[in-house]
Amino acid sequence: MLLDSLFGPFFRKYFYYYDSYPIVIQIAILLTGVAITTTFIAYSSILTRRANGYLKDVRSKKINQFLDNLITDHIIFNEDVMNGISPQEAILDITPFTKPVFKQKWVKQALIDRLIYFSQSFSGDRNVLFRRLFMELELEKLSFKKLKSISNSTKIVGLVELTSMGIAVADVIILPLTNSKNRKLRSEARIAYIKLSKNDPFKFFDDATEPLLLWDQLELYKIITTTEGLTIPNFARWITYSPNKSIVSFCLKLVIHYNQHEAIPAIVKLLSTKDHYVRADAINCLGKLKADSVEEHLVSIYNNQPLRCQLEILKALGRFGTGRQINFLRSEFLRSNDFDIKKNAARSLINHGMQTKEIVQQLIDTASPDNAIILKHCMNPLIKY
Amino acid sequence: MATNGTQILLIDDDELILKVINRILQKEGYVVTTASNGKDALEYLERDKFDLLITDLMMPYSNGFEVISRFKQHPNAAGVPIIVISSVGTENAVKEGLNIGADDYLRKPIMPDELLIRVRRLLKK
Repeated sequence: MLLDSLFGPFFRKYFYYYDSYPIVIQIAILLTGVAITTTFIAYSSILTRRANGYLKDVRSKKINQFLDNLITDHIIFNEDVMNGISPQEAILDITPFTKPVFKQKWVKQALIDRLIYFSQSFSGDRNVLFRRLFMELELEKLSFKKLKSISNSTKIVGLVELTSMGIAVADVIILPLTNSKNRKLRSEARIAYIKLSKNDPFKFFDDATEPLLLWDQLELYKIITTTEGLTIPNFARWITYSPNKSIVSFCLKLVIHYNQHEAIPAIVKLLSTKDHYVRADAINCLGKLKADSVEEHLVSIYNNQPLRCQLEILKALGRFGTGRQINFLRSEFLRSNDFDIKKNAARSLINHGMQTKEIVQQLIDTASPDNAIILKHCMNPLIKY
Repeated sequence: MATNGTQILLIDDDELILKVINRILQKEGYVVTTASNGKDALEYLERDKFDLLITDLMMPYSNGFEVISRFKQHPNAAGVPIIVISSVGTENAVKEGLNIGADDYLRKPIMPDELLIRVRRLLKK
């Protein structure tokens, strides 16, 4: 009955006895039929996709070959550039890139991809020509269009294309993306902003409400420290005013990298912040900047600090290496029951070099077996301090 | 295309670099043999004589360091200059490359004109 109502007399012809079967068998036959049909559809779909993928690969390979030859002939072997004419003034013949084949959207996209690949593989004068070609063919319009897409992944593609080709993007478009809820988009937008905005590349720090995750910090750090011609501001500005803790932490790392001693007063103010993670980062930064003027202050606050900050204070004293806190370090090493405190106090003592040579030897001679192991471990020059 | 008979072995797993540098060198009249991995390169080294070796460092099968040290040990390769082209631009990699016997080290992305100048300079020596 069930099948009859679904498929009518056609089914009856082939399943004459179907109606006489118990309902359980009828359902089983029905389910078997559905399973076979679904499997068939699934396999057909997989095969179709694979065939399409294969054809697309063949097509891409063919067009990439064609594009590579075209780019090599007209950009790499550009006669004017080879004869010493500057790439801005060299004649760039774009007619081969305006053939009817380039009217197709996928070919244009393939050209964008190849230009990016070329510009990542070759530098110098040719890079200027790659950019000129990109602009003269108005390919940036396609990339800008992607930035307006609803899909975040399309926006990311657009951003990557513009960043790779060094095309400036207006703040009004890119700044909102630096605060996007989508982590990947936010990260790419921040990278793009730093790369493309030469005058004020850190402006997005002002309004950053979303956290700068550790991985993003690593990425940004790499971009900032390897991008040439970047205007480096005084990071004290964000250390003082930013409500975003991750931005403050990141700025402290940048202060260390750029050795910005002028930021020390702003960092000292962080020693009274309630967040002990930020406080620990600030102490770490002061130690690495060798701001020994705060040494007394660090020792005075030591007993009221959580372990994380205490360890940073011990490390900082070792980095200052003034010799004024040798007794403090020695007593912390002997008094504390915490392994990390012992280890860092010992390392800082040893870091004083000749000033503490005798004291360290004395400690080794009189130390318990555990303490002696810690001291010997810290004396190993291969272990980084 | 007229050649000047100078044999160059070019090794890189990046197809684009291989293709473009090959064309640049051929245009200058060099005879170029290309290999996309260290293993193939080592086979070519056994079979043919080269006047210059240009190699990447990070490659499948045998890396650039291995190729250079094998090349250096080969009796037919005495005095043959080596240029390393690599995206690994760290101080250590450059030092290691030069220490192992490379005569020059070029960082990727490559400037084609700079590469040509260095090739000509090394072949003149």
